[in-house]
Amino acid sequence: MNDFITIALPKGKLFGLSTELFAKVGWTAEGLHEKSRKLVITNDAAKLKFIITKTADVPTYVEYGAADIGIIGKDVILESGKDVYELLDLGFGKCHLMMAVPKDKKRARLEDYAHTRVATKFPRIAEKFFAERGMQMEYIKLNGSIELGPIIGLSESIVDIVETGTTLRENNLEEFVHICDATARLIANRVSYRLKFDRINSLVSELEKFL
Amino acid sequence: MAGILETPYGTRDFLPQEAAAKRAIEMRLAKLFAEFGYEEVVTPTMEFLETLTVSDRALEPNLFKMFDLQNRTLALHHEMTTPIARLAVSRLKDSPLPLKLSYNTSVFRFRQNQPGRQCEFYQSGVELLGVSNAFADAEIIALAANGLKISGLKDFMICLGQVEFANGLMEQNNLPPDVQSKIKSAIERHDIVGLEKIVDALSLDKTAASSLKKIPKLHGGIEILETARALAENEKSQRALDNLAEIYALAKTYGVADKIAFDLGIIRDFEYYTGMVFEAYAPNVGYSLAGGGRYDHMLKDFGLACPATGFALGIERILTACERQGISNDARAKDIYLSYAEGNVDAAIKKALELRTAGKIVELALFSQTKDAAEKSRTAKGYAELIYLE
Repeated sequence: MNDFITIALPKGKLFGLSTELFAKVGWTAEGLHEKSRKLVITNDAAKLKFIITKTADVPTYVEYGAADIGIIGKDVILESGKDVYELLDLGFGKCHLMMAVPKDKKRARLEDYAHTRVATKFPRIAEKFFAERGMQMEYIKLNGSIELGPIIGLSESIVDIVETGTTLRENNLEEFVHICDATARLIANRVSYRLKFDRINSLVSELEKFL
Repeated sequence: MAGILETPYGTRDFLPQEAAAKRAIEMRLAKLFAEFGYEEVVTPTMEFLETLTVSDRALEPNLFKMFDLQNRTLALHHEMTTPIARLAVSRLKDSPLPLKLSYNTSVFRFRQNQPGRQCEFYQSGVELLGVSNAFADAEIIALAANGLKISGLKDFMICLGQVEFANGLMEQNNLPPDVQSKIKSAIERHDIVGLEKIVDALSLDKTAASSLKKIPKLHGGIEILETARALAENEKSQRALDNLAEIYALAKTYGVADKIAFDLGIIRDFEYYTGMVFEAYAPNVGYSLAGGGRYDHMLKDFGLACPATGFALGIERILTACERQGISNDARAKDIYLSYAEGNVDAAIKKALELRTAGKIVELALFSQTKDAAEKSRTAKGYAELIYLE
């Protein structure tokens, strides 16, 4: 089984774009769709195995080598802190991480928010961002609907990803500081990258043609 | 009393079977190192914090620290290269060079979630001090390859790199030190996306930019050295490639060349390594089993310039790789369970001594038993044979 390549794909908005791109270079498998009940979808002829996982788990599968490669957003890589190789910027899934605050209670400077509460799904990225600016914050980890934090009085601000900004506007929040941009990346395990170098490297070259 | 049965975060027990497998590998490695003329040293588990961080102060958050009675900060050793360097510069400074030393010990690194190991993990390795030629590096590679072989691994690969290749390429383009360390950090993490962004931001000509971007992709057999040669027309990089070719030629004579691949994207911890570097990998294990390289500047930090090279093998990771390759390292030979009917204690002791002298592993029952009970004990304890004195 060692000559197979195992690919971890995240459920959600990156899934369709990822399978579409892979299909262009012939990396696909019968029955590969997000609603698949099978956990591992194999293409024996092409020696490929696809696994579909929760978004935040992709870097974990790849770090341990359970998957050789994977596709995942840069935001998730940064938050995971996992040691994975980043081979290619796929360009899609574009979003950015930012800090947002309620419009009507906006303070003048970033420093004015020191020691306040910040609700986020990305505590690691948030902590790094504020720590680099010498700011101590109270981090409140939430798993969804981050915008609710300031509305309900749970926090003074949020750190979250934004694509269009519609959700922010609808909840009377305003982007206060841009933290970093993120797009989908092709990642690889350090050992797989070496032991399966020829296949992985030619995949990268093939994919580059379509970007 | 919650907690008294737990062990601290990052530690583990080795039960008899696990301990036997670990011991079996460590003994084979110790024998191999001795055969190559490497003498074992043991250093304290704790050192002064300043000693361990002499070359890299950034290590400090990952060390386990405590205070002595004078309130000086102590730390548990996180690897053995630094303590051995201290030893070489102080107590062994008058020994004839080259100095060839080996060790087997646990080391401690505080980090969340280290794949394949705990915060306390075991390393066997060697350090070769006092010689800067390719022969010394080839001996190190040969030892590492043989070490993995005698651990029982059939399928593994040693990837060789040379940090001076990337250094030469950056100097050739007159990159300022801060950009150099950004590039090296991206290469070390294999963040190819990040590397491309850094390089694109530097107004370099097209060829130079593309050469820098290619570094992490320079992986393959001996032929990759020629590909690399064409990318770097500077003396330092060329010398680095010559050095790798020379190491490879000697590794061939050592009979380990079939296990070697080249990867110029391996630079490991670049604060530390100055020449050849390597990592060893096995299929189905997502992290390196062993690593090492040349570190010619480190002893200078202790006050004595002396070239050095060496490596460490990760015992737990090798055990995992063996398990995944279906190789058993369980060395426990449970030969004989010796039991007896009442009144035969003296005869049993004498019989046990006799069998042990003949090299058998014998467990002697400490109470007299019926033969049925003795047979049950033998099965439960997993001994091959029962000897029962009626």
